[in-house]
Amino acid sequence: MKKCCVILLSLFLCVGLAACAETKLLERVGLVTLVGYDFGKEEAVETTAVVRQVSTELQSKVAIITAENATTQGTRAKVNNRAAEKIMSGQLRGVLFGEEFASAGIGHNIETSLRNSTISGAMLLAVVEGETRPMLEYPYPEIDDIGEHIYKLLKQNIASEQVVSSTLHEVAHDYYSVGRDVAIPLLNRDEELIEISGIALFRRDKMVGKLSVEDSFYVKLMRDNYHAGSYEMKLKGEDLPTSLLKDPPDEINVVFDPIKTRKDVKLVNPTTPEFDLHITVQVRLLEIKPNINVGEVKNAEELEKVIGTGLSAELSRVIADCQEIGSDVFGFGEFYRSSVRHSELTEEKWHAMFKEMKVNIDFDVTLLRSGIFE
Amino acid sequence: MKNSVQIGPSDTISAFLLFFIVHGAQIGVGIHGFQRIIYQDAKQDAWISVILAGLATHIIAIFMLKTLEIYGSNDLYGIHQDIFGKWIGNFFNIIYISYCSVAFFAVLRNYIEVVQTWVFPDLNTWFLTVSLLLIVMYAFTGGLRVIVGVSFFSAVLSIWLFPMLAFPMKFIEPRSLLPILDSDFSEILKGVHSMTFTVIGFEILYVIYPFVKDKEKAKKHVHLGLFVTTLIYLAVMLVTLTYFSGAQLTKTIWATLTLFGVVKFPFIERIEYFVVCFWLLIILPNLCLFIWSAFRGAKRLVKVSANKFVWLFSLIIFGVSFMFKTRPQINTFNDYYSQVAFYIVFVYPILLYVLAVAKKKFKSHKEQIE
Repeated sequence: MKKCCVILLSLFLCVGLAACAETKLLERVGLVTLVGYDFGKEEAVETTAVVRQVSTELQSKVAIITAENATTQGTRAKVNNRAAEKIMSGQLRGVLFGEEFASAGIGHNIETSLRNSTISGAMLLAVVEGETRPMLEYPYPEIDDIGEHIYKLLKQNIASEQVVSSTLHEVAHDYYSVGRDVAIPLLNRDEELIEISGIALFRRDKMVGKLSVEDSFYVKLMRDNYHAGSYEMKLKGEDLPTSLLKDPPDEINVVFDPIKTRKDVKLVNPTTPEFDLHITVQVRLLEIKPNINVGEVKNAEELEKVIGTGLSAELSRVIADCQEIGSDVFGFGEFYRSSVRHSELTEEKWHAMFKEMKVNIDFDVTLLRSGIFE
Repeated sequence: MKNSVQIGPSDTISAFLLFFIVHGAQIGVGIHGFQRIIYQDAKQDAWISVILAGLATHIIAIFMLKTLEIYGSNDLYGIHQDIFGKWIGNFFNIIYISYCSVAFFAVLRNYIEVVQTWVFPDLNTWFLTVSLLLIVMYAFTGGLRVIVGVSFFSAVLSIWLFPMLAFPMKFIEPRSLLPILDSDFSEILKGVHSMTFTVIGFEILYVIYPFVKDKEKAKKHVHLGLFVTTLIYLAVMLVTLTYFSGAQLTKTIWATLTLFGVVKFPFIERIEYFVVCFWLLIILPNLCLFIWSAFRGAKRLVKVSANKFVWLFSLIIFGVSFMFKTRPQINTFNDYYSQVAFYIVFVYPILLYVLAVAKKKFKSHKEQIE
């Protein structure tokens, strides 16, 4: 009993006298919710940080602080010099890169973020068309907290499968993987409106191109399976058989929602390389303009075929585009690596092969239903 | 046997508790970051290494139990004295006691390193060492039953950690495991060797066996404990291999903790901080069992009371903890430690079994002649 008392007493003394870890009271720290990186005018990096200061009053304040330095962590110290409260990055939810900055390479930033234990792997990354600073500093009349707004905007669109997911973990996964390149959502500001304008394509860590929102559908189609996304596509009037529609217009718009996909990729020739790609698509037809009655079995089958060829043509176009800029955001390299034994695949090797790659695409479209009114 | 362990009925433990003891002694700090070490050897076939390492623990446990069964109610220290005689036997005992102490230190220092990296970068090593040592002292002075109780509660209270693996599973890509058996068999075996640091701990059997009440049931519970541990390692390894891409994994020091990084609850956003602190409960049985088995050995060598031993032991550990400050130092220490541990835990038991059988044959032969 006495022994226990001695031990407990020393434990208390020890904790009481020496356990002075740094306290981080919510009211006394500034929470960085979003940072943007651009090239500095004088030094290497210009950081724009959105700092949220929780106060005892109802409204919390949002400050936007900019600093330049040679390293990102160095700018952090400078931001701290300009902030009223100590800057903490534990609540960092998003990192934006200016387009020019991303073209020069973001690998170093990914590495630094991964190293820091306070930064969560669920943080989202995005590229901004132009520079990040004007986007963050613009006085939006409708938006109180720009950091929170951009994070929610990205999160919502990723959750509803409108754009590729870009958590720090997933970006790092692709960055370090041999057979897949990084794809990150692209943001654009149009006066008072911030919108997702497409995706940025990377080769290793450098941004090499971009795709529109419509085309990024095909990238996501190859990377993941769709469960609930929606998509609007344009069919060419001339592709449509006359049995479906007499004198069709040049363009027919079809909207699917929700769309479910499954894909099956087979490497048929490892030397070229050549892939057989079979994609099963199940959709609900939400809108078709001009209207075609898909209640009839024959019509539905015809339409399914036309949609299939339309999707194939679009997908091959997007793949060809990406081949040209040499960015395998689809992950064909992963399929190659996992199907060929002792491939010893390196990134250089794959990028050379990717340019020569051939893909045979085959879509199998099923129209499940078309709403409650025919 | 002349030097068998004398145990009162109040000191014995039920055989089913061996499950928690073996399991609790195995899982400790190794599971934090074993993935990348195995991955460096066996690439995407690392999970096969994990299975083989699990198999190896079963085989070694069979040898250990067989050796112990020959002696009925004696521990490793008594067996040493019986086989090698007093002097050489005691020499081996000293080696084993040092092994236990080094193992104790390895767990302690590695855990402190994790706490310092993840949660409290500005906390001193000595402070964490002292507080951990005081907790261990508190449990140790309670006796074996308290230590076994700690093992039991540590296992039961940390069950909830396992289903957390479902969160990172949202991001996994099973394709990463293909092609299976892309690595040579020698590379996979190298991976098995690297598993040493992670799977050891079950050598506690050597010391705790005499304290088991119903020894005939011991076998079942020991193997069950080993099996569950392997299963957990396998699950963690499979999720890790599919969650990270190759080069990413080789750069992630504590992959298991990074896996917890994506777990998000409405009431706690960054669960890995909590997990790191909670891990104290998981390493506590490790520490208690190692210090206890060191004490059992020391008692054979010199007359020392438990209280005196624990203070002296803690003082030495406290002193040594000042010698290791940086990550490279700790890594080098871990490497040397697992090299030695491989021979002590995986090679030596087979040797000891052969010697014990030979000795027994020799003895019965002598008795027949007489």
